[in-house]
Amino acid sequence: MPSLRAPVSWLRDHIDVAVTPDEIAERLHMAGIEVDHIERTGMWGDKVHVGRIAALEKHPNADKLQLATVEYGDGRKKTVVTGAFNVAVGDVVPYAETGAELIDGHTGERAVLRPKPMRGIVSEGMVLSAKELGLGDDHEGILVLDKGLRVGALLRDVLGETIIQLEIAPNRPDALSILGVAREASAILATPLRQPPFEPLSYRLDPALLTVRIEDPEACPRFAAAYLTDVRIGPSPAWMQERLRAAGMRPIDSVVDVTNYVMLEVGQPLHAYDADRLRGRALVARLARHNETLRTLDGVDRILRSSDLVIADEERALGLAGIMGGEDSEIRATTATIALECASFEPRRIRRTTDAHGLQGSSGSAAARRFGLDLSPDMVPMALARAVHLLREHTGARVVGATDVYPRPRHVPNVRLRFSDIERVLGAEIGREEAADALRRLGFAHAELGDQLVVTPPAIRTDIAIPEDIIEEVARIVGYDRIPVRVPTGVLPLHERHPLELLRERVRDALVGFGLQETISYALIDPSWLGRLTPDGAAIAPEPLAITNPTSPAQSVLRPTLRASLLDTASRNLRHRRGVAIFEIDPVYLARPGDLPEERWTIGLLVAGQAEPVRESESWLTAERDWDWHDILGLARGLADAVDLGPFDDQTRRPAPGLHPGRSYAVSHRGRVAFTIGQLDPRVAEEWEVPASTFIAEIDLAALLDVRRRPEAATPPRFPAAWRDLAFIVDEATAWEDVRADMEAAGQKAGLEAIALRDVYRGPQAGAGKKSFAVRLTFRSPTGTLSDADVDKAIGRIEGRLRHRFGATVRTS
Amino acid sequence: MATTVDRLSELATKAEAEIAAAPDEAAVEALRVRYVGRRDGEITKAMRELPTLPATERPAYGAAANAARVRIEAALERRTAALREASLARDLSAGAVDLTLPPRRVRVGRYHPITRTIREISRIFAGMGFEAVEGPEVEWDYYAFEALNIPADHPARDKFSTLWVNAEGTMQVALEATGGGRMRAASARPDRILLRPHTSPMQIRVMEQRRPPVRVIVPGRCYRFEATDATHESVFFQYEGLAIDEQLTMADLKGVLYSFARQLFGGERKVRFRPDYFPFTEPSAEIAFDCFVCDGGGTTDAGKCRTCGGSGWIEAAGCGMVHPDALRRVGYDPSKYQGFAFGGGVERLAMLLTGTADIRLFQQNDLRYLESV
Repeated sequence: MPSLRAPVSWLRDHIDVAVTPDEIAERLHMAGIEVDHIERTGMWGDKVHVGRIAALEKHPNADKLQLATVEYGDGRKKTVVTGAFNVAVGDVVPYAETGAELIDGHTGERAVLRPKPMRGIVSEGMVLSAKELGLGDDHEGILVLDKGLRVGALLRDVLGETIIQLEIAPNRPDALSILGVAREASAILATPLRQPPFEPLSYRLDPALLTVRIEDPEACPRFAAAYLTDVRIGPSPAWMQERLRAAGMRPIDSVVDVTNYVMLEVGQPLHAYDADRLRGRALVARLARHNETLRTLDGVDRILRSSDLVIADEERALGLAGIMGGEDSEIRATTATIALECASFEPRRIRRTTDAHGLQGSSGSAAARRFGLDLSPDMVPMALARAVHLLREHTGARVVGATDVYPRPRHVPNVRLRFSDIERVLGAEIGREEAADALRRLGFAHAELGDQLVVTPPAIRTDIAIPEDIIEEVARIVGYDRIPVRVPTGVLPLHERHPLELLRERVRDALVGFGLQETISYALIDPSWLGRLTPDGAAIAPEPLAITNPTSPAQSVLRPTLRASLLDTASRNLRHRRGVAIFEIDPVYLARPGDLPEERWTIGLLVAGQAEPVRESESWLTAERDWDWHDILGLARGLADAVDLGPFDDQTRRPAPGLHPGRSYAVSHRGRVAFTIGQLDPRVAEEWEVPASTFIAEIDLAALLDVRRRPEAATPPRFPAAWRDLAFIVDEATAWEDVRADMEAAGQKAGLEAIALRDVYRGPQAGAGKKSFAVRLTFRSPTGTLSDADVDKAIGRIEGRLRHRFGATVRTS
Repeated sequence: MATTVDRLSELATKAEAEIAAAPDEAAVEALRVRYVGRRDGEITKAMRELPTLPATERPAYGAAANAARVRIEAALERRTAALREASLARDLSAGAVDLTLPPRRVRVGRYHPITRTIREISRIFAGMGFEAVEGPEVEWDYYAFEALNIPADHPARDKFSTLWVNAEGTMQVALEATGGGRMRAASARPDRILLRPHTSPMQIRVMEQRRPPVRVIVPGRCYRFEATDATHESVFFQYEGLAIDEQLTMADLKGVLYSFARQLFGGERKVRFRPDYFPFTEPSAEIAFDCFVCDGGGTTDAGKCRTCGGSGWIEAAGCGMVHPDALRRVGYDPSKYQGFAFGGGVERLAMLLTGTADIRLFQQNDLRYLESV
């Protein structure tokens, strides 16, 4: 937001109110003129005085130093050593006695002034720069004060200042000035506003001296100028310099200072040209010509775009209109005749030109920041007259003439509303008289016709267009605290069901219940991460969406996978702990040509390093062990059980790039990968500095929703179960799942209810290249108690199947 | 005769003494057999003598024998109970564990504080009839700005330093309202794609899809081109509220946020409204709650209140009445419908609720931090 430093003494030039600066700030803030903070300058204590240079002489031992004798009242006189040469006898300057607390001009730190010999002479105190007083950055010379100040006074009494740092909303350029803030304060505090002194100009100007022409009235709706002669360029008066400094600007010379001063005071930027350098004695607002060039005041040669508005003379561009002047037509020390421009520009073009030439923000100009807002052309005549007044007063200038080109005056809207609308919108009762008074204080004209109200805002208020704007103005002035607190009534809308979000939250609950820590990491990642997810750098996810203007390379693409984020989190945490167990549920972003990307909600799980004991090193009850494949599989299966999932439609186990080839797989659902699980490829683990025992699962939330099933209520069985233990030896290559499926098929009809794997044994008793499975089979019939004979028959069939299909050697225990 | 009776009583007394001295249950059992055993117990034997006695002596003798047996059996019971109790006490005391040892640890998972805060926000607003909905993080310029009265080159765009996606697309835009306020995709047009700098685009998306009354709360991730520091993040979360009905006012807005503050922070919170500027609300306001740490006083025992920075107020959200132009754009008749919108930062609330001092902690995922909140 545009900011403004408002010295309270300057505000008090325009309003008389017997309230403290803090209260002014509070009232402004509560009426919508945001106060960022309040600064106080001049907390200098009682050792810093207004002094006068009574004598100056050369330092006997140093060419770059001189001795200044300073008087500071009551006959007090001290001699100080100074390196500055910008002072003369009779100048009024700030003088600090030994022991004063100041800001060190070199370090910027607060420091107490101590006597220190300089080239053999001890300085009795010091004459001060602006920087040493905390009044600005200038440390080149001594701050020369207004000669009207009483010598011997404490500096804090004559220069102490409270500055209210304001943030002005971008729709309120009318308030982006001292006068604008004073105008607000006058409305809020119901006190009259005092305009700065100026004499209205008569718009007569001999075209032989200066002509003003607008070629594009859209881009430049109004262009006024004054022609002044006999200008003496020199320093501006000390009070003006102090105010500029207090408001955050650097004094330059009398003419530039006046334009800046008026900009700060009234809110309207101006620009002064050396009139003798204008070819054809003209100022023209026109669009730049093809390939036209301009060296702007910052010394940069710019190639202008044909959409850039320039101020030109009859031959060449003189400056980027409203943004930055050109070097060529700049005011110089020898300038005696000036053409003073005071114009209005279309804010969007200003903003586009500002952006295109990289002049936004701090590299740009205070004028451009103002012209980028919807500044009213109505400010022009007063600003020009005020500047002319100050130039006449402080540079001896003579105004020869002025002109004002304003082909299509801007329409000021009449806003119609009803008094009852105020309550309709605010829910607060504001009396008619009170509302009318608020409008009057703001300078809004209004007419009443029964309940009807027609309001005409002042022309400078370009933000007012609709009844709600008027209602806000009234509310602002009577105070938002007048709005009561009420509980809404009315019909409650029907709510929709959000299955994906509901499932997502159930998943979160389940995973937290499993003991995993939830993480949320940056959705913007470093693209180089994506090349580190497989040993050969091949991508595991589609090309990420890139950010055009990233804040840093580390956050320059939208992540197409959660894996890199999980690995980064694990890696950083494993530097200070031995195990992690984390999950994240967030979208991954997948480009769709010509459309917004798909934001695919994904569940990512990662366990790595030590699994037990749960509390690091606390192994008195639990042996230390690392996470393993069975853990990650258990978490995934547990999640499936917790949220009632059925199978994906394609059970084919496919390779999972980036994971351990023999300890991972991916499965698809509806033609896209829905579930990836496994141990991280050891080479990738090394790359990310995570342990080999790092296990990952990635699950597409939408696929889970698709395979989710409604739980079926089970009736507890009425008849007892029978069980048998069975052990059999098969080839090492035989997969458990195949064995299990065959046992299930063979036992199904006989009432095989459950198969529990009790042991997998490899060793001499199984034989080389073999393994033994020990299982417990549970049988149950829904219609009666099974007899031993029934169960034996079923076991026989199962054993037969195992022998036949897997060549198993079976032994019943 | 009396001597016989006395003898029985003495026998009982002797038995009582022996029983009381029995060291264990086996000794008690031996004494039971010896005195009241069915076969050879002293009392049993004494009873067997009964028929041999003269008829006149029998009742007294029988009564004495019975009394002796009752005494002995009672003594046996007492001693057995005492021995069992003693043995149980011995067992229990032998089985005592060191109660101060650490437990068999359970793995405790925790929600991320952002999740917890979003759930809390959604829960509170659900209680006031607001439905939680979500929308895209990657958005069209139209929804993020234009439909919210922030056309290209509008100065308000400066507030939303936007991250742009290196892609363009064709948006199906709902340009015109049809009768009854329902929207229809009227045309397709190319538009720029960005990362939403606020959750407010969902105001438009929701209104395009629903008819009043509307009450929604929209939590979600947002992005800004922003230098990060202790209180600023380039990726962050917001919550957005929107309510449209026939007669909702700023007083209702104040009421809803007041209720929210009370439920979130507890106690009798005060709310403060001050004017603010957003192009898509008019009038607009910034809402602050009085600080729940210093109760609005600005100071605590430790000096200046660190939660509110000494101001006594915690600025929590921007809000206002939905701008008539925004209503019109989605086909709502502003002369019939009006309502309010609000939006605030999730992290800000999470920081206040958890005492988190640096916003960057949320997405850095240092488990030492996450396990503490």
